[in-house]
Amino acid sequence: MGVQKFRSVEEMPGPPRRRPLDPENLRIAFGLAELAQGFHPVRLKPGVYKYASWDDLLTARARRPAGQGPARS
Amino acid sequence: MFGLAARRCQNTVVAMMDLAEAKRILAALGREGVDYVLVGSMAMAAQGLVRATRDLDFFVAPTPPNVERLKKALKSLYADDASIDQISVDDLAGQYPAIRYAPPQGDYYIDILSRLGEAFRYEEIEREEVTLDGVRVQVATPRMLFRMKRDTVRPQDRLDAEALRQAFGLEEK
Repeated sequence: MGVQKFRSVEEMPGPPRRRPLDPENLRIAFGLAELAQGFHPVRLKPGVYKYASWDDLLTARARRPAGQGPARS
Repeated sequence: MFGLAARRCQNTVVAMMDLAEAKRILAALGREGVDYVLVGSMAMAAQGLVRATRDLDFFVAPTPPNVERLKKALKSLYADDASIDQISVDDLAGQYPAIRYAPPQGDYYIDILSRLGEAFRYEEIEREEVTLDGVRVQVATPRMLFRMKRDTVRPQDRLDAEALRQAFGLEEK
């Protein structure tokens, strides 16, 4: 494809959509997970944490690292 | 025992979520015959919309035999971690339909979901299968992911829902 030039980041297309259910998709995703963990290692407090709803779990996930402040454990 | 990306932290080996570790988890679920569907960001990735995430989210059937199979699978992975026994069918079928499990020697977590509000229960989750190096993985369909993500509290989920809508031509209904 060579070099493409854009006047702004907004003009740049996102990554190409990949074929659904291609096993390679998960390889890439787990590779990204590994890379993210390498950039920003997080040590989690082990255990089981229980939430009254998926939204509660998502809120906890956004508020602090997993395992720190369970609804019930 | 751990994935290739295991690292050492405070004199303990810490398993990172990488492909090898994920396949270990997915293979254990399959080996024990757990009724599950991969949902969330990894399911989106499987459907071709790949972004960085560290989460593994599973929808599971909250029946006594299935929860026992899930616990057996987790114990086979995490050397009989006693905290796994805190996962119970009474919770998943009752007041706590969302459970997070952080393994003793892992810097990732596994989120287990048995229902999403009153709208989604395990039996209603449309799924497809993908095989990753011989490991069969049950993955939620794009339409299902769209419906699950569009109404949650997280802004990222609404972005994901929009990406799914555009990529698969899904309708708001």
